[in-house]
Amino acid sequence: MKLHKLFAGRLPDRQSIFGVYAVIVFLVYSWTLFTSFYKLPSWMFYLSVGQILSVYAYAFSIDLLESILVLAGVLFLEFTLFLALRNNKEEFQSRSILVVLIVLISSVLRLILFRRYGDIEAFLSGELVWWLVTLSLGLIIAIFAPRNKWIRKNLDSLAERVTVFLYIYLPLSFISLIIVFVRNIN
Amino acid sequence: MAKFTRRDFLKIAGGYLAGAALPNKLFSTADNNTNSPNIIIILCDALSARHLSLYGYPRSTTPHIDSFAGYSTVYHQHISGGNFTTTGTASFLTGMFGWKHRAINQGGLVLPEFASTNPYSLLGADYFRFAFSQNPWSERLVGQSYQDVDNFLPVTAYSLREGNLVTGVFKNDRTLASIAVDDFLFSLQGDMAGSSILGSYYKEKIFSSFLKERNDSPRYPNGIPEILLGGYVAPYLNEDVYNGVYLELSQLEERHSPYFAFFHLFSPHFPYSPRSEYFRLFRDGYAPPQKNAHPLSPKLNEVFLRSQRTAYDRQIAQVDEEFGRLINKLDRTGVLANSYVIITSDHGELFERGFVGHGFQFMYEPVLHIPLLVHAPGQVTRNDVYSPTSNVDVLPTLLHITNREIPSDVDGVVLPALGGVEDPDRPIFSVYAVDNSVYGPLKKAVIAMRKGSYKLIAYLGYENFDQVFELYNLTVDPEEMFDLSNKETEILSKLKQEFYSHLEKANQPFIKK
Repeated sequence: MKLHKLFAGRLPDRQSIFGVYAVIVFLVYSWTLFTSFYKLPSWMFYLSVGQILSVYAYAFSIDLLESILVLAGVLFLEFTLFLALRNNKEEFQSRSILVVLIVLISSVLRLILFRRYGDIEAFLSGELVWWLVTLSLGLIIAIFAPRNKWIRKNLDSLAERVTVFLYIYLPLSFISLIIVFVRNIN
Repeated sequence: MAKFTRRDFLKIAGGYLAGAALPNKLFSTADNNTNSPNIIIILCDALSARHLSLYGYPRSTTPHIDSFAGYSTVYHQHISGGNFTTTGTASFLTGMFGWKHRAINQGGLVLPEFASTNPYSLLGADYFRFAFSQNPWSERLVGQSYQDVDNFLPVTAYSLREGNLVTGVFKNDRTLASIAVDDFLFSLQGDMAGSSILGSYYKEKIFSSFLKERNDSPRYPNGIPEILLGGYVAPYLNEDVYNGVYLELSQLEERHSPYFAFFHLFSPHFPYSPRSEYFRLFRDGYAPPQKNAHPLSPKLNEVFLRSQRTAYDRQIAQVDEEFGRLINKLDRTGVLANSYVIITSDHGELFERGFVGHGFQFMYEPVLHIPLLVHAPGQVTRNDVYSPTSNVDVLPTLLHITNREIPSDVDGVVLPALGGVEDPDRPIFSVYAVDNSVYGPLKKAVIAMRKGSYKLIAYLGYENFDQVFELYNLTVDPEEMFDLSNKETEILSKLKQEFYSHLEKANQPFIKK
């Protein structure tokens, strides 16, 4: 009972989870939009506006799924590894944002560095080491960095500022899901 | 749907291969209640007629196709509507020139109003309609009328990699989903994947599925052949693919009549990676006529061009052998007796003028002249047609032989020897216009016009290369060595006038009022 009370006091509140999700959404969707600008000129040559919007509907639907999966991963860490940390409740938001930043940057870096098909072996052979380094670095930074007030304050402020994107991307994603569903019903 | 792995395929194929040894008419259980013939089209990507011994190439690249020609109609001057897959295949499927169907960009689509002008929609439900394209861009074009395809295999079928997301999850929106998912969000090469975490995960999953087999293939010293287009990657072995073609045809024979089957097979498209035994071929020092580098070419040196040419010829030789095995099996099982079998390509390949490949501003014969052989049901003798024909003629011919109406939009005519008449003076166009929007008039393009013996090549809108014309007389100069634009000015002027009149007509619907 005492243990339950102790852990309950360390669990993050809904507002913090919301803040972390906002950062995830901001990063995931921004990457998709950024990469789409490489494709857009060629799409404009041969796709109609409706078709281009449908391509974005697929993108936002996949992004929604991806953002939920990343959030689930973060919460999994929270309810397993980080729950033992004393200031977990206060540091949850900044800690989770750091984990998200490190994992997403690492993943994106892989996509940038190994974009050519000729890099296939380097892409696969270094995979385990890459992710071990990413996770180790992520865990160390996520555990220690939030103890610094300046870092915590800035990360919390980032979460607050990007929350606005949730109000843009989430409704768009739900509309996108409907579009994808309609296009795929027989 | 249960996942169909390569191992499953090999098990089933083993059974069918054994079955191929059984007597004729093994596959005759299907109800044949119509007189419509079966139609089988085998389109080998990037197969230049200029590299086939059948058409006089000095290397013996295609003994099996040559032998198939002995009981087929051979078209000696068959020209593609484009110099790369999208435009060439779209012309083949729609029966229209590129400036009308407008699949002119890399990976582009046919205009929605013409999306139903293709064999699948026009043959109708009387036929069981089958499609397998290893080329993702061709698959997109067929995918525009996916609702009219009864069995539509994915690009990755009979390859070494696992299936893809589009055909597994988004099969009812195949074309657009392929653009969004395969070519963007989960791009495996070239541009970065648009999905940051899942894109990276997917890449790892797909690459891991074939890396071992890709790297441990001692029979492929230069690596195994691979489909590398846009964001797609799919390694494959031609022996698996052709076994797959036979397997599919066996099933069609057994279960459906009549059927229409279109196979767009990737080989001999680059990268040229034939099996080890083909490396022995063509160590003959063959030197084709040397031609000056084109001003728009990257000016690759002649030694490199020749080495690539030889690699390509070896790849063709392997394709030819696989084709020979397939035709023998089809013959033994009675398929040739009741089917039209059509062998062709979407475009050719160029190894001259400082350039290797296709799909750039080069409209010379090696990249436009494609093979066309049509075997009619039960045909036992050879027939030759020497007047120029175009791949826009295939669709009207299919409709003619199946007693269907030919839509008025179609530019092609029924092929001679299959119901049509020879018309050597008819203009035939090939269009390269990747730098244009589908929705506007063509301003930057290279367009070839074939008329009689003459061929006009028009370069429009290129910096320092605008309104440039080349003129060749292919009867006396089949290698296009001598540009006659400065000598035969009267003919040039006449052909230019005709060309501009056709271009203006084609651009008319796209000029904003």
